[in-house]
Amino acid sequence: MSVSSDNQPRPTRNHANGSHSTGVADSGRWSTRRIAIYALFVALAMVLSFIELPIFPAAPWLKYDPSGIVCLIAGFAFGPSAAGIVSVLGFLPHVFTNPWGALMSMAVAVALSVPAALIYRRMRTRAGAAWGMAVGMVLALIIAIVGNLLITPIYAHMSTAQVAAMILPVLLPFNLLKFAIHAVVTFLIYKPITTLLDR
Amino acid sequence: MNNVIGGTVHLDDVRFSYDNGATWVLDGVDLDIRSGECVCLIGPNGAGKSTLARLVAGLAAPDSGSVRLLGCAVFGDDGPHAESYRTARRGIGAVFQNPEDQIVTTVLEDDVAFGPENLAVERDEIGRRIDSALQCVDLTDLRMADPTRFSGGQQQRAAIAGMLAMHPRLLVLDEPTAMLDAASRAEVMAVLDTLHASGTTIVHVTHRTEETLHADRVLQLEDGRIADVSPGKSAAAIRPSHRMTEQQSPAPGATEHSPSMSKAKEQTPPAPKMALQEPTTPLVSLDHVTFAYPDAVSPVLADVSLHINAGETVALMGANGSGKSTLAKLVCALGKPSSGDITVAGIAVARRDGRHMRYANRRQLKALRGAVGYVMQHPERQLFAQTVAEDVAYGPRNQGLGDKQATERVGQALRLLHIEHLAERSPFALSVGQQRLAAIAGVIACRPRLLVMDEPTAGLDARARAYVRELIDSLHDSGVAVLLITHDSDEARQLADRVIELGGESEQDKSSHRRLKQDNTSRHSEQDQPSRCHSERAKRVEESPIARLDPRVKLPALLALMLCAFAIGNATQLAVGALAVLAIVIASRIKPGRLLRSIHGFLVLFVLMGLLNVFFVRTGTALFTFGSFSVTDEGLATAGLYICRFAMVIILGAVFLETTTPTAITDALASLLSPLRRLGLHTQETALVLSLALRFIPTLVGEVRSIFDAQSARGGSIETGSAFQRIRAMGAIIVPVFAGALRHADNLSLALDARCYEQGLTRTHWHLLRLGFNDCLFALFTLAAIAAILLLGLLP
Repeated sequence: MSVSSDNQPRPTRNHANGSHSTGVADSGRWSTRRIAIYALFVALAMVLSFIELPIFPAAPWLKYDPSGIVCLIAGFAFGPSAAGIVSVLGFLPHVFTNPWGALMSMAVAVALSVPAALIYRRMRTRAGAAWGMAVGMVLALIIAIVGNLLITPIYAHMSTAQVAAMILPVLLPFNLLKFAIHAVVTFLIYKPITTLLDR
Repeated sequence: MNNVIGGTVHLDDVRFSYDNGATWVLDGVDLDIRSGECVCLIGPNGAGKSTLARLVAGLAAPDSGSVRLLGCAVFGDDGPHAESYRTARRGIGAVFQNPEDQIVTTVLEDDVAFGPENLAVERDEIGRRIDSALQCVDLTDLRMADPTRFSGGQQQRAAIAGMLAMHPRLLVLDEPTAMLDAASRAEVMAVLDTLHASGTTIVHVTHRTEETLHADRVLQLEDGRIADVSPGKSAAAIRPSHRMTEQQSPAPGATEHSPSMSKAKEQTPPAPKMALQEPTTPLVSLDHVTFAYPDAVSPVLADVSLHINAGETVALMGANGSGKSTLAKLVCALGKPSSGDITVAGIAVARRDGRHMRYANRRQLKALRGAVGYVMQHPERQLFAQTVAEDVAYGPRNQGLGDKQATERVGQALRLLHIEHLAERSPFALSVGQQRLAAIAGVIACRPRLLVMDEPTAGLDARARAYVRELIDSLHDSGVAVLLITHDSDEARQLADRVIELGGESEQDKSSHRRLKQDNTSRHSEQDQPSRCHSERAKRVEESPIARLDPRVKLPALLALMLCAFAIGNATQLAVGALAVLAIVIASRIKPGRLLRSIHGFLVLFVLMGLLNVFFVRTGTALFTFGSFSVTDEGLATAGLYICRFAMVIILGAVFLETTTPTAITDALASLLSPLRRLGLHTQETALVLSLALRFIPTLVGEVRSIFDAQSARGGSIETGSAFQRIRAMGAIIVPVFAGALRHADNLSLALDARCYEQGLTRTHWHLLRLGFNDCLFALFTLAAIAAILLLGLLP
């Protein structure tokens, strides 16, 4: 993650506009390159959000999908607003099949990627990325658990207390495992991807 | 703008560097193009043709020099002049190499309208421009069809139509035919001839000798300068003397006029390089193999039989859509035939066993991966590692080889492809030709006995092409069998012991309807998307009252109803909800079978939800008891209720998606969110991001699949191995997928620029959103249903 130099004021613009600009897309606006990259990242998040891997045998209805990785990468490379857009739009197709679940997935993805991007923007080092993801994980964990307390009773005839009983044995370990996989994969693939972005 | 001195394009001492001046891609280019001229730009890969094309199209600015486009001084000593660039760009059209990445929506007429909308052309005029542009490229019949499913030639013609609708005075085309087969190339060239005749200035970058025959002038770009200016027409006679063409067939213009296959077969010497003529067990045998993609109308491969002997090089030819690539995947066990026998290297990949098909098990597949190498189309798209050497080592390491052996394999493979010097470079920093060679090395390093190559030389320049051909020859000499898919009959003749042509379709068949039909079946099934062929059924749905609703009403109304369905808690409410859903389904005219299919994927979830409910509800009369569990009647009733209300939600969602095009969803969102613009949010751009994302989903799905296949063929598996191996296998898939996404994004951003899209610009709209009587009626209907459900819930 050492690609952009550490003391650049607005490093996000680098990735989004490229050099040899004709000046038509001046600063403060969204260049077509930014629009195109956001679009492809959103498409990628949508595609990956349909992959559902059961990683936690104790709760087969909780599935791992890799789309969170795209949100994190978008945030690191293009800043918090990109993380937010990819997180929200990426789950939009699910609104038409599972509206509450989709809203919750959006909230969790935003809670994970936006704080991570905000911290990495101020601390552009490996440690900054790690801190960012750690803070994001804590916030996302809180949202995921609160969300489950609110939403699970809509799908199953359970009281909030019954759902709360699942927090320690099921929800907490599942979400920790999920975010840990996100973080490890993001760490591994971020370097080659920034090489591509800076080309 | 009246002083058009210097003609349409005037470049003076232009320099351009990608690495801040360390090397110069363009190093002092002077260029003058007169109005109405057709100029061809040629030169080897990496000579700067595409860069020059972008400068001429006003899509990039140089580092120094001066540029004047359509009479506007866009770049001078004081840098770029944004306002002049903006003006000039409005008169310049640009078409790029990759046809698919230039499409912005999923309806042809909307795609063509996108440019004029950005130019704020009046709506009536947009209609006229769509008509004439589509007529010019001969796509009028496909006006309402989905361009992402067109053949490559049709997509390029669609891209040209998108430009013509903007009435450009100058059209810049960067290798528009590089990815096309012979028939599609001819289609595109015919359109260019028409345009030239009508007076449009054309700048055409190309690799193909025969295409320069159309030009008034041919410019040769080499080492960043325009090296050779030869007058067109006669240029072809001079070209073969040039160093980059020495590997090519010397007959100018004759290379691509594919001779009939029977001739090719005759020319294959009866005593081929293969010395063995005695009957041996073939390395590959396919017997009566049939393969159909799920929900395709007809099979791609029907009753195909084919045998390849050990050490034999076989070329497989045939028109686009004839099933060549599918056949290659079957040989590599990357697909399962619906009938027939396939044996490869003694391993039964697929076998008919009585009435059932039996396929290779995991152990057999592993053995097969060791024996068969697979070079997919555009193998450079599977590169993932930090260095070329590491990438090439991926296959050998998956075979369980140690460091020393793996390094040795890597060294050999790189030498075979003449890229030893690139071992420590990042594969992403290489040129396309070098990337291709590196990716092929990654397959060769696995030491296969059979190598399957899907169009390995497509889009390469002469030198890289020569390296690949040399490799095939040397593999042949060392006894490796090769199945080579190619469109180039010279290549087939030169390299192969035998040429096999697949499918009866002749290349001359240019009837666009037939091609589309053929293409539709193959492409659509590859992408597993619901078909949007214009069948009667689809038309009935499109004209249904639900489909014709204003999406600004339909979207919030259906969403509200969906959310409200979760409030259903008793039988009366369920009945009201079910009636409302039923009415909507009937009004949408979608066949119940189709809706059932969309619920199909949720069956498992339903069962789980049901079980959960049965388990948690303890009240009511016990029906069964297993130990401490008891199933009660109330438990069952609750399970039923929860499943029903969830099914309603999914049906409503499916109705919405079936009756609403992505464009309509985007328009509705843009319009509904537009008040947020006051808060400084980029609503118009966000809506565009969404619509482009939806349009690229099938493309990415296809790409994820082919990368997954290619890495599996090198022995990478997410499903087996240690945690570390699995994560590495995941990286080997995710990194190329991201690379692909970024490549599409680069192309797409150029395409958006070429269509003059800018943030915050005032656009006109081809689609008018109008609220009508039916929309009000529908809004009232959903409101009533929601109110009824909520009120019934308040009753005791």
